[in-house]
Amino acid sequence: MLERYLQAVRTDDPGAEEPAATRERLKTNFPPGATRRMTQLGLLVGSALNDLVPTSDDTLVYATGFGESRALEAYLASFPTPSPTLFQTSIHPSGAQQVLIGRQRPIREFFPLAGGPQLTAQALLTALLSPTPRVLLCGGEERATWLTEHGVASDRTFAFAIALTSTATPGFLGKITLASGSDADVSLASPFPLAQFFDLLHARRPFSGPLANARHLTLSWM
Amino acid sequence: MVSITTSVRLATTGCVTPFGDATATHAALLRGESALRLVPVLGALGGDPAPMALLPGRALDETAPPAWIAALRTLLAPIVADGWGTARRPVFVTSSNFGVGNLHAFRQHGDPANLAFGAPALCVDWLRRDFGWGENITIFSHACVSAHLGLLQASRVLAAGLADAALVFSFDFLSPFVAGGFHALKILNAQFPAPYADRATGAIGLGDGAAYAVLTRDRGDFAITAQNLFNELHHFTSNQPDGSGFAACLAPLVEMTAGRRLWLKGHGTGTLDAGRLESAALAAAFPGAPLVGWKGALGHTLGSCGLVELALATTSLRAGRAPGTVGTTGPTFGEHVATSAVDLSGFDAVLCASNAFGGAHAAFILAHA
Repeated sequence: MLERYLQAVRTDDPGAEEPAATRERLKTNFPPGATRRMTQLGLLVGSALNDLVPTSDDTLVYATGFGESRALEAYLASFPTPSPTLFQTSIHPSGAQQVLIGRQRPIREFFPLAGGPQLTAQALLTALLSPTPRVLLCGGEERATWLTEHGVASDRTFAFAIALTSTATPGFLGKITLASGSDADVSLASPFPLAQFFDLLHARRPFSGPLANARHLTLSWM
Repeated sequence: MVSITTSVRLATTGCVTPFGDATATHAALLRGESALRLVPVLGALGGDPAPMALLPGRALDETAPPAWIAALRTLLAPIVADGWGTARRPVFVTSSNFGVGNLHAFRQHGDPANLAFGAPALCVDWLRRDFGWGENITIFSHACVSAHLGLLQASRVLAAGLADAALVFSFDFLSPFVAGGFHALKILNAQFPAPYADRATGAIGLGDGAAYAVLTRDRGDFAITAQNLFNELHHFTSNQPDGSGFAACLAPLVEMTAGRRLWLKGHGTGTLDAGRLESAALAAAFPGAPLVGWKGALGHTLGSCGLVELALATTSLRAGRAPGTVGTTGPTFGEHVATSAVDLSGFDAVLCASNAFGGAHAAFILAHA
């Protein structure tokens, strides 16, 4: 059985907030001028991660289904003279890189996952198989415009970051366990969207159920 | 600390490049051939010419379904019926771009069929259904070290006893979306790449590529004996100028290779600064080991490069001969840069390294089991 203790949880559920409003709301979390080119997802994930103070000894797992969708739209609109800045900003895993590069924070292991029905399950397994004492698992989505209308971007904006440790320390908030499931769990498991995991974290709600990677997830809170 | 020191076996591997499969590609590289041709960076829209290696008969512009699907079906035919994506046989799909070129095509032509490939999960789900895989699929995307993440996580899943075998699959095919972006960054121009060449200006080429590797705990002639990662997070498109990021990735692997007679398969895209730093770091970590890079012939196959070059390194070990740094002539960044083929009879392992945007570094050791 794999398990980790939840040491810290940060969530941001901005609803229909537009990117400019997010930038204004969160700009004090970043160095002066740094937010000008940051995406909405970068601002949200970056703020959540900042609070957890990443170090080079942490493993960072970043989960998103669609990534920097607004930057992707803007990059596509820049043709036939493609924008180099928007190209690099639109490339996964820019959302997490924006804050880490801004803070000049090297990190040894960085696992960016890029969607799929079992995104949450696989991100959790990646985090719980990491050998480092602390793992930071972050993720989120940003709502776009025409990409959202066509189902190629999220219809919701949110972000989270959690710190998971291999040992319990005073004040831990909860525990995540991946127990052995059965082969049948792969077919029994329903998709476990990232937004659903976010909602559990945001509301501090428990969860128990099968995942498609033949694991059984338990999220419990103190 | 090394990311993983548990050895995993390579049961089988394969790749597809514009030259064909791994055997054909290895032979073409040994002959010193390049698949790179000048192609307008925006495809049908024109633009400046730049070196790209496209699959035979494939245009740069995306189609729906993508023209590269046929090449993937051929590539995966030997293993497609092996029950992948089930509980004990997970799949790890890695790419930098997946089918994102289809979004550019959709913008051009408005064909909704392109949208089915426009996001990583959509593209992978299309492939999953086409190949008959189950749902146990992990998707990693970390630019040009993407394939290495799939190898590492697959190895950890095997080491933890959570799988009997793991399929790591990686693909990246060019499009105006990708070529236009690299051209905008001013590292893709009309100049052909010459990895590790000490010349006035640097340049890269881009290439189509896909590959797979089946990892197991105990089956196969080759083993990946150690893997390591490091992320500088210094700049989106450049490295720490002192080369410390390269050294940080390589240093923990040095003691893992003690007693090994090692050769080096570098990243070597053809950019000057990164090439110089990589070359120096490899020479410092592994003195006397010959260094080769193959992107001067294949172009940079982006997220798939780590797995494409793993397949070619395996073919090299099996054949006893590694292609040299095709496309590079004249002065290089050091005497360790091999511009012609290397006789591997004196070697028993290879270090394969890749680098990516954000100062990401990844490397593994491949040896006879």
